[in-house]
Amino acid sequence: MQDHTTEQELKDRLSLIESMIAEGRRNTESWGWTFVLWGAVYYLAIAWSAWGHSVWAWPVTMLIAVIVTIGVASLKAGNHPETTLGRAIGSIWIALGISMFLLFLALGLSGRLTDQHLFVAVISAMLGMANGASALILRWKVQFACAVVWWVAAVTTCLGTDAQSMIVFLAAIFLCQIVFGIYGAIAEAQERKPRGPIHA
Amino acid sequence: MPDLPALNPVVHGRLRLALLSLLSGVEEAEFTWLRAKTEATDGNLGAQLLKLEEAGYVAVEKKFVLRKPQTLYRITETGRQALTEYVQALKQLLGPAMDA
Repeated sequence: MQDHTTEQELKDRLSLIESMIAEGRRNTESWGWTFVLWGAVYYLAIAWSAWGHSVWAWPVTMLIAVIVTIGVASLKAGNHPETTLGRAIGSIWIALGISMFLLFLALGLSGRLTDQHLFVAVISAMLGMANGASALILRWKVQFACAVVWWVAAVTTCLGTDAQSMIVFLAAIFLCQIVFGIYGAIAEAQERKPRGPIHA
Repeated sequence: MPDLPALNPVVHGRLRLALLSLLSGVEEAEFTWLRAKTEATDGNLGAQLLKLEEAGYVAVEKKFVLRKPQTLYRITETGRQALTEYVQALKQLLGPAMDA
């Protein structure tokens, strides 16, 4: 066969293999929107708990965010293959969602969600852990920078005043949820650029 | 000069090679996902997948999800081995031209 196959054709086959393997391994699901959604939900919960003084602010908003995320993700996941990488990343965020929901539900209902510094430190450390784990698996420097921002927020909130703690938390949400989410969505859209058909 | 290796004709087909490469990176994939990635027609894709299935390179599972038929494909160990050997043969054939 190779007598009739030119060197260029062989190179073309090799590049086809590389591009298809990369295509299959690429996380084909779109997750940028979830960061933006959760960022908006954090702002909503902060506003509700600050002005509404309701113990239900965090449990209710977290529950709504979990339901919306699961609902939209299950609709979008229909046509995507499962990969070990995708399942590993998904597991981190599902476990984080369950942990945050249970913790803040219990803290809210027990009336112990009163120390703002402790609350911001815990939520920031949890988000730092999830972003850090995901970044190390994906070898994604931008996401690791988000993890660092969350860890910095967790530490500074313990040392600063109430106002400083809240400013750091709001800034971390903006950078690591809204800005990173939009960046992720744009990167995912660029990865889905159309390519020509492959013939037999 | 050492004998040049022969390229496996089942793997060598452009679409079949793309399919095996795609499946090597995922646990299993739906027909519709493979169609979207290769942009092949239903008939051509089905025919090439059948050839890979007959060669024992891919395994097929048909099931119903919410009353809709779903066809799942996954690469077999034989298929993975064939793809690895094909890549090795390709690299051997290209030799110094790989860097050009």
